[in-house]
Amino acid sequence: MRWIVITVMGLCIACNQPQQPVAFSFKEKLSDYGFFTGALKDLRPVAGILPYELATPLFTDYALKDRFIVLPKGKAIQYRDSGVLDFPDSTFIIKNFAYTDTAGRKVMIETRLLFRDPADHGWKVMNYLWNAEQTEAGRWITGKRIPITLLNDERRAVSTVYQMPNTNDCKRCHSSNGSLQPIGPKARNVHYNGQLEKWAAGGALQGKPAQVAAMPVWNDSRHYTLDQRARAYLDVNCAHCHTKGGDADNTGLFLEYEQQQPNHLGMLKQPVSAGNGAGGLDFDIVPGSAAKSILIHRMNSTEPGTAMPELARTLVHKEGLALITAWVNSLPPQQ
Amino acid sequence: MKTYVAALALLAIAACNTAPATQGDYKTVLTFGPGEETKITEAFLSLKDSSSIELKEGRYRFDNLSLVQLKHIRIKGAGPEKTILDFSAQSQGGEGIRVAEVKGFVISGLALRDSKGDLLKINKSENVTITDVHTIWSKSDSTSGGYGIYPVLCSNVLVENCYAQGASDAGIYVGQSNKAVVRKCKAYKNVAGCEIENTTNAEVYDNEFYGNTAGFLVFDLPDLSQRGGHVKAYNNHIHDNNERNFAKAGSFGTSWGVGNAAPGSGVIIQATSDVELYNNRILNNNSSAIILVSGFFVDGKAGEKINANYFPVSKNIMIHDNTLEMGPAFPEPVYAHHTGKILVAIEQKLGARIPMIVYDGISTNVLTNQQLQNPDSICIRQAGQNLFVNVNALQMESKDWRPSTDMTAFNCQ
Repeated sequence: MRWIVITVMGLCIACNQPQQPVAFSFKEKLSDYGFFTGALKDLRPVAGILPYELATPLFTDYALKDRFIVLPKGKAIQYRDSGVLDFPDSTFIIKNFAYTDTAGRKVMIETRLLFRDPADHGWKVMNYLWNAEQTEAGRWITGKRIPITLLNDERRAVSTVYQMPNTNDCKRCHSSNGSLQPIGPKARNVHYNGQLEKWAAGGALQGKPAQVAAMPVWNDSRHYTLDQRARAYLDVNCAHCHTKGGDADNTGLFLEYEQQQPNHLGMLKQPVSAGNGAGGLDFDIVPGSAAKSILIHRMNSTEPGTAMPELARTLVHKEGLALITAWVNSLPPQQ
Repeated sequence: MKTYVAALALLAIAACNTAPATQGDYKTVLTFGPGEETKITEAFLSLKDSSSIELKEGRYRFDNLSLVQLKHIRIKGAGPEKTILDFSAQSQGGEGIRVAEVKGFVISGLALRDSKGDLLKINKSENVTITDVHTIWSKSDSTSGGYGIYPVLCSNVLVENCYAQGASDAGIYVGQSNKAVVRKCKAYKNVAGCEIENTTNAEVYDNEFYGNTAGFLVFDLPDLSQRGGHVKAYNNHIHDNNERNFAKAGSFGTSWGVGNAAPGSGVIIQATSDVELYNNRILNNNSSAIILVSGFFVDGKAGEKINANYFPVSKNIMIHDNTLEMGPAFPEPVYAHHTGKILVAIEQKLGARIPMIVYDGISTNVLTNQQLQNPDSICIRQAGQNLFVNVNALQMESKDWRPSTDMTAFNCQ
């Protein structure tokens, strides 16, 4: 009798708990994943890994970025018109950060991984810090301040203390309505250099419509207007936080490319919790006057508490600042 | 025996009401001492649900700390005089401790000092208890952070037995939240002692707010996620708030935020609804004991901002049974402040000491083009002399401007 009971219980457990996938945990070393072949530092992806670029990228202290998508075997990305593309469970998104040193060499700093965990379909983050020998990157959660001297876009040497984020910092920018999401690979921002077509043709992307709206390229003034480029820059650099459901949604300043409401875009909008960051100015954006606009003031600062974005930037992005300054100055003054 | 049973029953009820249990029921308890800052930072980053971090007595130095997307977490010190977290060397980020999207969060028994931005920010979290926490900036000036204790977009918040000092915005600030209690706290030498902003169902009682620019503020601001309202404040001691306003101009909106608070303000209610202010001792705030204004008082275009989340006229305000006293003269800093100057002008116009309750007199009549008496249910039941002035603020620019001390329409029935 007892035996029967035990059997029944055993059966129940078996039915209620179908085979669970082994809990995911990030590996110790970047090389453990086998994403790359040859010298790790060359980031030469193995077959099937998709390198990608963005029309307008996020600025991080003039860092050189390499980006890759690793799809699980036999699975494809589902196209989505708004927000990020729909990646299948077990996808990795890899973003590598490096800088150009004064001798013109590429020096690896850190590699960030996003993984879509099949256990809960949620994204998880992990950072890897490159060693001094540039042969390996190891799991590193606490972030690091790394003194570097880099060449900026004008090939001028600039010294700074690069801020590698900790894993909670990562979650901060990647948080959307309480869950983690990738930021960069939105359809319109990867619709660039024929990437979407290539992926669709190779079976890595399903459901792509014939026409996809493209994100303007922030520094391409031949093909895009000042307004388009500025709005693209603000979308990519600010809107992961400054959007409904984002980390800065308490501010009411929303900078997505689609945003049309002048008050949410900051036009004569008073700040809510800018602290000292406002620098004695009254409005986020004063149309026609970059000098009076908090947005410009904060982009032009490297002070903690003032600098925007708050994370991942210790230098002023001169070119980005020039673009947004020109845009604000171009806006017709309002009463 | 009867008492005993009743007490038991009470305990049982209390147990039901405090849903997240906080004693001894954490799966993991991690204990650290001073010198272990690196390990503590790692622990914050790798914390699992249902964990308690206990910090022994001593001084700790941190760049910043953060907790994100967790359930049932406690940070516990040995007491606010004993466990001190010093953020003065901060190099990045806006906060000392930053908590986001945590369900069931308790922080107790420690002091946070001198961060670049806010000291304790808790964003989008539920069931938050902040108890026996001190947030202190050594200097009370415009370089001193923003908010001391700063829950925002939260629900079920308790701030209890806390102390906030030196904030260049509000020492204790509850913003865009639902269900909040602030009790038995003190706030000293901040621009605003305590502020409830765009928050619903808040109760503020048994606190002492003193030595600030303004003691206690209930505000709604436009363009935010929700309207506030349904705020009760009682049994508070709000006194001697006569200090210079050291908010950086614009930092908090010259017209909308706390930069606008005149030195010498006890309580300011602005553009919000369903507020009951009673049984408070509001003493020696020497520009006004209570100011009640609309959004129009600070921005002529407030009407353009009306939507489901914002209404500029304060409505359903009950002020009763408070003890109100003011000193014989304005504090010196009021003369240098933009709204302060308006208060000074009112006193000059009246030719007598400014009354203790200042109402801007901008009602919904301005939106409906009507001439109703008290259309917004402003209700005052207070004993004493020189109680009330209706500024008639819309007429201030005209040479016929006359503030009125007739309170008849606003007497509670």
